[in-house]
Amino acid sequence: MKTDDLIDLLSSDLEPEKPAGAKPWALAVGLGLLGAVVLMMVTLGPRPDLIPALPLMLAKMAISALLAAAALPLVMRLARPGRPLGLGAMIGAGLLVLGAVAAVIALTDLYFRVQTGAPIPKCLVFVPLYALPAAGLLTWIVRNMAPTRLMLAGAAIGAAAGGLGAVAYSVYCPIDRLHPVLAWYVLSIAICAGVGALVGPRALRW
Amino acid sequence: MDEARLRALMLKGLAGDGAAHRMFLAEASSALRGYFRNRLRDAPDDAEDLVQETIIALHTRRGTYDSSYPVTAWFYAIARHRLIDHIRRRKRRGQSVPIEDAEDAALVQPVQEASDARRDVAALLDRLPEKQRTAIRLIKLEQKSVKEAAVITGWSESDLKVSTHRGLKSLAKLFRDEAPA
Repeated sequence: MKTDDLIDLLSSDLEPEKPAGAKPWALAVGLGLLGAVVLMMVTLGPRPDLIPALPLMLAKMAISALLAAAALPLVMRLARPGRPLGLGAMIGAGLLVLGAVAAVIALTDLYFRVQTGAPIPKCLVFVPLYALPAAGLLTWIVRNMAPTRLMLAGAAIGAAAGGLGAVAYSVYCPIDRLHPVLAWYVLSIAICAGVGALVGPRALRW
Repeated sequence: MDEARLRALMLKGLAGDGAAHRMFLAEASSALRGYFRNRLRDAPDDAEDLVQETIIALHTRRGTYDSSYPVTAWFYAIARHRLIDHIRRRKRRGQSVPIEDAEDAALVQPVQEASDARRDVAALLDRLPEKQRTAIRLIKLEQKSVKEAAVITGWSESDLKVSTHRGLKSLAKLFRDEAPA
């Protein structure tokens, strides 16, 4: 078919384009979080002393939600072609530095735990697991838009989904000192972002 | 490349003005032809394929244009993405890859004379699922209104619109994945 004919084909009977707005993103976050909570309930379940530990749990959820909320605008930007990241680039770089610091803290904490026989945090495995529903939904939305930086988009999706996974994980998390929790959570979310960066170029191809 | 004029055409097209959208795609295709021929100097036959592939992408993903940014930046970002995808596909098939010696996109002259594409959209249309193929044939090729097409097929109007939309997306995918003749 000649290019001119193709253009005729595409432009005939044109409907106005209805912008999708925030609704798909809100649905992805809501359903993704729901999926994370369901996964948590059927795997680790809530910690038995949940009621007395409620303020601590809420603090962990707030931290996780904040991290997800920082990553989500990046996902939305990276879903469209070529726009400069601007403030988003700084947020991304900040999250990277945070991840590195968290890794160091978490590793020193791990060392002491191994030495003293304290339990090894399960969040490294379960936060990525709980992140899967949100990651799947966000990937589907982004792939149906027009991402042009697939590794970055994948990393941002991983970070946002990881934050949501951590919110759900907080219902189980038995560790009561906030400072190692912060390090381990950030590290778990960073792992989700790393996996997202690796998988992005394949999963987001359009 | 007149950003202001293209932007106006794009925005009118988004509002449903078919003639404006057609003009936008026609001007974009001239610009893209120059761009791709410049970057694929050793494979000029592939340039027209990429023009068509990118035009389809510009149409099916037109909802991703954000009017607070230049429209030329938007479509060159998509064009570049399709070019990189094309180069990766060639590498995977063990074919030659163009040398990285290209002019800045803004400096390349548009080319209006189209060559023949190697992939044939008409043939690809035949490979669509029946519902999508019929919807596109009636509404896009035979220029029937959605109402008329609904009467002819017995399907609902929304069903037809969804099938047309899905059909164009399937077409984009077939175009991307099919090895040229």
